[in-house]
Amino acid sequence: MTFSTGITGIQNMAPELPVQASEDLLSTPMFNLIHSFGVDLHHAESYVGKTTRMSRFERLSTEGGQLDGSGIDPASEVPVRTDIDATMEIYAKSIVTNEQVVLWENSKTLTKFTALLGQWLREKEDLLMRDLFSSSVSYINSTGGLNGDQPSNISLNDVNNIENILLGNDARSMLTSLEATLKFATGGVRDAFIALANTNLCADLQKVQGVLLKSAYPTQEGIRPEEYCSISRFRFFVSSKAAKTPGISLRGNTVYTIPMFGLEAAAKIEQNNYTAVIGYRPPWVVSSVAQNSQLYAKFAIARAITNQNWISGLNVTTFQPS
Amino acid sequence: MAFTIVTQGTFTQPATAVNQIIPLPSGADYFVTTNLTQMATTQGTGRVVRGEWFGGGLTAVNDGLRWKKTNSTSAINIDNFSTATASNGFTYVTTQPQPEAAVTGTAITNANPAVVTMTNTYSEGDVVQLYGTTGMLQISGMAFTISSVSGSGFTLTGLDASGFANAATAVVARRISKLMPVEPRFLYVTGISKATQGVVTVSEKHQYVVGQKVEFTIPGSFGMVQLNNYYLPQNIPPVITAVTDYTFTINVNTTNFTTFAFPTSASSPTAQLFATVASAGQSTQFNPITGVQTGYNFQYVPFHSGNFIPYMYLPAGAQSPGGSASDIIVWQAYKMETGTINAPVPS
Repeated sequence: MTFSTGITGIQNMAPELPVQASEDLLSTPMFNLIHSFGVDLHHAESYVGKTTRMSRFERLSTEGGQLDGSGIDPASEVPVRTDIDATMEIYAKSIVTNEQVVLWENSKTLTKFTALLGQWLREKEDLLMRDLFSSSVSYINSTGGLNGDQPSNISLNDVNNIENILLGNDARSMLTSLEATLKFATGGVRDAFIALANTNLCADLQKVQGVLLKSAYPTQEGIRPEEYCSISRFRFFVSSKAAKTPGISLRGNTVYTIPMFGLEAAAKIEQNNYTAVIGYRPPWVVSSVAQNSQLYAKFAIARAITNQNWISGLNVTTFQPS
Repeated sequence: MAFTIVTQGTFTQPATAVNQIIPLPSGADYFVTTNLTQMATTQGTGRVVRGEWFGGGLTAVNDGLRWKKTNSTSAINIDNFSTATASNGFTYVTTQPQPEAAVTGTAITNANPAVVTMTNTYSEGDVVQLYGTTGMLQISGMAFTISSVSGSGFTLTGLDASGFANAATAVVARRISKLMPVEPRFLYVTGISKATQGVVTVSEKHQYVVGQKVEFTIPGSFGMVQLNNYYLPQNIPPVITAVTDYTFTINVNTTNFTTFAFPTSASSPTAQLFATVASAGQSTQFNPITGVQTGYNFQYVPFHSGNFIPYMYLPAGAQSPGGSASDIIVWQAYKMETGTINAPVPS
């Protein structure tokens, strides 16, 4: 519609700039990072090889030991040490940016891309820890669900079975003290083990008998957004990237693995003076005509299951096939 | 934009050619193989002498350009790997491989070892995950290394199914990666002998080594529950004392333990599955007289990545980029000198 009024408006005088940037960037999607905060963190020194050894002295035998008054000493016992080794590996990612991007298209790219690389670093680290759990831990099929698949959907009996395994193996729960509560940034519900599940399981978790959803926790202070619920002695944390294997259940549905563990079950080892390095290479270094600059992130990580006795888990399917 | 060679290498196929994996730390935008051996020959059936792969999605999975000598001459004919039967091309792998497409079979014998009837294109030593094993549900979901592979079936060397009540009348298989994302992996246990030193059989060719400590998970449905989370006196996990491809011996006297046996197929949907074993560290022994340290293997024992990713997968075969028996293959991986974010780049 046009008006012959002699008024200058946007109909006959369009804005000079067709678009403008809003004051803030939109959020970059990031999945929940759940696979590292329940594990022990160790540090490797430089110049002493890429294998980190974590050692544990096994407890002494409690059999015998009574003195009979004869003055003969009881046999001494040689302590046994178990060594858990892990190989340090390095991962890296870079972004090379042409100067024309900064000149004509986008400002503050260094800041933005540094944030992107930082996010990549944490996401990659999370997936590497996930792979450790999915590859090197024994899991038991759920059988108490009613979906008729093998494994079945998750049930209280299945969760209790894993709790029995961990308690029977003297595993320590995560949240037995105020210090632990603060350490993992989780609110106080009760002392608990940790369970890591795929977000596709949320609907099934809601239906497990006795489930306490996060909204029903006695306190909401300090609860991580990744936490979903509490069942028996386990607090469930969920991520869209948690482990699953498509198409291998009895009926050809996706099987999800849920690692469930207590203290000191697994470890992440960082390399001193190397972990979480984010760097910048200026244009005169990257490009012969000084047009491309480079941002990079790299980190070193080793990972290990440090006590198979204190970690177990479930293979499950979903009630509605997925 | 110029390309630069980032890596180059060569390999010689053994007497029985095997599929090759070429780690590519920097990735690749262009990959080429040259079969030096077949360059110098003229075969009755023409051979592939050169293969080319293009990044950026230009080459489909298991494909690429093949330069093939025509039959009985050295004249070159160029086409795609995918255009020929019995021909496999390049596969550029950037993430841990997921289970492949399902292949349906008709039977698994209740014999020792169990034999699967299935029309397939699998290779010796592949690992498959089996499910839908009607009549033999107690193994549904387990992974197996396959052997004696033919187009009509394969053998599960790691499974003695002679104690099973029935043969399976259906089975579905998905091929999975031979290597897990992290090694050493957990393994499925298919048998444990009753002996002064128990012998454990697993469903896959394993890489466990002498001296390695292991932790068992044996549900009650498998009988030998005494070995479930078993610790020797002093809280020591069982230690491996000998190994074969599918078995290892542990320093645990299992003579008086309950017999290990799979649950029945009928009970399997509700029976707890599976019996498994996982790595629990090691203890080295040092002989001060000989100065020899035993019980440790740096190649296998430390937790480490199973696959180096990304990598290029080169299938073996006279019509494939990996070449056939005794062929010498040169490979080169090219990468753009610099990728920039404001220009389309093949990556």
